[in-house]
Amino acid sequence: MTALDRIAHAGRWRRLPLAEKALLALGLLALALILPPWPGAVLVLAAAALAALAGARVPPGAWLGAFAAPAAFIATGALALVVTWGEDGLALVAEPLVAVRPALRALAATAALLLLALTTPAPVLVKALRLPPELADLALALYRFLFGLLDTLRAMQAAQQARLGGAGSIRSAGLLAAALLPRALERARRLEIGLAARLHTGTLDTLAAEPAPSPRRLAAIAILLAAVAGGAAWLQ
Amino acid sequence: MAAVILEARGLAYAYPGGVAALSGLDLAVKRGQRLAILGPTGAGKTTLLLHLNGTLKPSAGSVLLDGDACAYSRSAVRAWRRRVGLVLQEPDDQLFAATVFEDVSFGPLNLGLAPAEARARVERTLADLHIAALAERPPHLLSFGQKKRVALAGAVAMEPDVLLLDEPTAGLDHHGARHLLAVLDRLAAAGTTLVFTTHDVDLAYGWADEVALFDGGRVGSQGKPETVLADARSLARAHLRMPLVLALGLAARAAGVLGADDSLPHSHDDALALFERGVSKLNRVV
Repeated sequence: MTALDRIAHAGRWRRLPLAEKALLALGLLALALILPPWPGAVLVLAAAALAALAGARVPPGAWLGAFAAPAAFIATGALALVVTWGEDGLALVAEPLVAVRPALRALAATAALLLLALTTPAPVLVKALRLPPELADLALALYRFLFGLLDTLRAMQAAQQARLGGAGSIRSAGLLAAALLPRALERARRLEIGLAARLHTGTLDTLAAEPAPSPRRLAAIAILLAAVAGGAAWLQ
Repeated sequence: MAAVILEARGLAYAYPGGVAALSGLDLAVKRGQRLAILGPTGAGKTTLLLHLNGTLKPSAGSVLLDGDACAYSRSAVRAWRRRVGLVLQEPDDQLFAATVFEDVSFGPLNLGLAPAEARARVERTLADLHIAALAERPPHLLSFGQKKRVALAGAVAMEPDVLLLDEPTAGLDHHGARHLLAVLDRLAAAGTTLVFTTHDVDLAYGWADEVALFDGGRVGSQGKPETVLADARSLARAHLRMPLVLALGLAARAAGVLGADDSLPHSHDDALALFERGVSKLNRVV
């Protein structure tokens, strides 16, 4: 999670308007669901990967790392559909493409959503959802709080290991959790004092610097989506 | 003599469990001054700042701003905090927003400023504190020193009359501390009254206009740094030592290198110059 967050904050597309990134990612997602898996989903997967790697300059290792877990999950699901256990033991089903098609669709849809996740910090997405202020504030506070808590957790783990503890024992994990809770509460209390000092009234209103979408870039995205759809139709 | 802007009279406070933190504490902060509250770690300095900011209510005594005691109603505390800002020791206790710009805008918006005015104030503050380049960065990816400056910016953007700072240089390296002090110098020059807690006697001696020695839940002595910090017995009671530069100055005065009316050294450069003076005098004698 911290790796995704770092990439989203440091990426080349960080400052691009959300509308542009959302149009590209959700447009590719829609194409992944609408177009035939071959060649549509494959083209969508290639376009999403290319946009992330070449456009947003997401490091290839980071992209693969983020893609690997859902891809493995999808592959495992597909494998279960492709093989069957019968009287002759393990065998391939008569129509293995039945499993491959949804797997391709799922991989393409994952790559499309990953493009959004790797180029847009989570708070920007939360704000765009236009949740009720209380929920949005809670989500943002949790997001911010989580990183502090992770730092604390790492420090406590390091302290345990420095004294030859930790290393996966249930007792160490229990001690860690027990120590983390009061620290989290204490930290939340201090955050409350810090916010109160700046006249906190119950809502976390701030000024965001959201740039306006560029008509030229929006047109380029629309052309790319049309090219993917056209390419899929031509190849088919 | 400058008028007193913020004052504590007979403050008493005990932590839950009955441990006394403040017991009859008196303190006077003059308008425009830089006051250091000196005391050992765990002495209750942060608790005092939380009283001066209206966060904690004393069990006895009162806190006064321009002679008016804090009433502790919701609106009174709000009005109080508009004029008395607070920067906590740990910057993560203050930073919550997704980017530095958003975080610094929080206070100005709560003051009721229009978005355009708040935006202008945030931009001005970030430029003044030399952190405009961090505006779009998320606070959790900043270094500790950067976080400290952003936390300070969040309070400075509200343009308080008095700024309370809890251990402002704690955790900073020499460069970071110098940078932060330069920012505070500019704030002081602009007329902001600064009150900061520290256990760093050298910082208090070299930088503050006045120091208050915190000892046993009360201010043992308050006055010019060269007076208060020259009292070895008071310092020992507060578990502190004499600043090195001051000790050198007093030794030079005792040895006749420094005249009785000459001013004592306040910085490392002053101390070095004095040392060289002493060495050349010794050479002449030899």
